[in-house]
Amino acid sequence: MQQEKWVRKIRAGDQTAFRQFYEAYAGPAIRTASAITRNREMAKDAVQETFIRVYRQIGSYNPTLPFDPWFYRILTNECLRLMKRESPLSTIETLENAPSLVEESFDQLTELYDIIQALDDSHRIPLILKYIKGFSEKEIADILGLNQNTVKSRLFKGRKRLKEQLEPTREEDMF
Amino acid sequence: MSKFDDRIKTELEQKTDADVHELKDDIWNVINEELFEGSRTTMKRKKRWMPAMLIAAAALILAFTLQTEPGLALIKGIKDMFVPEKEIIQSIEGQDEPTEVHLNEGKDSEYIIYVDESRYKMIKGEDSDVITTIEPLPEKYPEVSMEIKQYPTDQPEMLVKELEEKLKVDFPDLREIETVSEPVEGFWLHGLTESTWDGKVIDVYVISNGKDGSFVITEKYFLEAAEGHGARFSHMLQSFEIIE
Repeated sequence: MQQEKWVRKIRAGDQTAFRQFYEAYAGPAIRTASAITRNREMAKDAVQETFIRVYRQIGSYNPTLPFDPWFYRILTNECLRLMKRESPLSTIETLENAPSLVEESFDQLTELYDIIQALDDSHRIPLILKYIKGFSEKEIADILGLNQNTVKSRLFKGRKRLKEQLEPTREEDMF
Repeated sequence: MSKFDDRIKTELEQKTDADVHELKDDIWNVINEELFEGSRTTMKRKKRWMPAMLIAAAALILAFTLQTEPGLALIKGIKDMFVPEKEIIQSIEGQDEPTEVHLNEGKDSEYIIYVDESRYKMIKGEDSDVITTIEPLPEKYPEVSMEIKQYPTDQPEMLVKELEEKLKVDFPDLREIETVSEPVEGFWLHGLTESTWDGKVIDVYVISNGKDGSFVITEKYFLEAAEGHGARFSHMLQSFEIIE
């Protein structure tokens, strides 16, 4: 598998392999960071720091475990750290709790992206991880340090809320 | 995947497309500079050494005060120049972890380091100092320690090559020597015996002692402990200061 080869070569300090790895992973990583932070500069910093950490700390990756959740755990934590630094009084650190579903009023929102971004972080971030990178509930639970059932419930509620907002009269074909 | 799932996926992709195109090259340039281009430059003086002005001032004070008895009492410990304990924020896998660390003085007061004394202790030896877990780990775990040793007459450039040859015996896949600026500024060797939970990991940093010799910091832990002990050793090492 290509990703295993990259990891092995990066461990050995192969810069070309690291560049190839960056080319393959940068796109989804930028998308994820951009969607999570809702801020281009913050996303840039988070992605930069994540790749630098991965290169320097590749020795701490356990190759018997899947690589992508490890990578995205670092990326997500970095995004959350930067968001917390920018607005220390926000509700970002409540990922483990179950805050209200909606962070802002949906009243004026018609675009799906805006509606997603109006969800609170605990519902919004699992959705982003699921739809940008295609992670499973178990992988999202691993990345965010949550129980798998909690992730399942939050994905369900998040999607339900999106659907209700977009098509309030057609709930029967929601899932 | 339902149509609705497709719609969410497409929406997220479309709304983040511009960032991917506009940021990808910029991000690579910064990473490249930080990891590769920057590291090829000549090794600078360790940035965490005391500022030159402070050293000069301290030297002047020493020169005068050591000539008198009260002066000797005044300079009873270079440790007095640093706070005895402080709280640092350790980042473990990106998660911030506040930790109280305590000032420890190395052999012959030649350096200081802040140690997380809730988990580790510093054992001072004849030739070197070792920071290790307060309670010994059960036998099934490989060694977890960080040794700090000075080689007064060995320059870093030569010493790191000698160490590389020695380490290759136990760590056949030892990485090539790298120049790093974190957690200390100097040369770095990294090795792993095998990719199992108990695979032995070694990080060796070889840095100038500011004179004609070197300090060698050797971190030993195992793969599963890399994000725990490995990360904590690295954070403690960031506080390492050579006292000239």
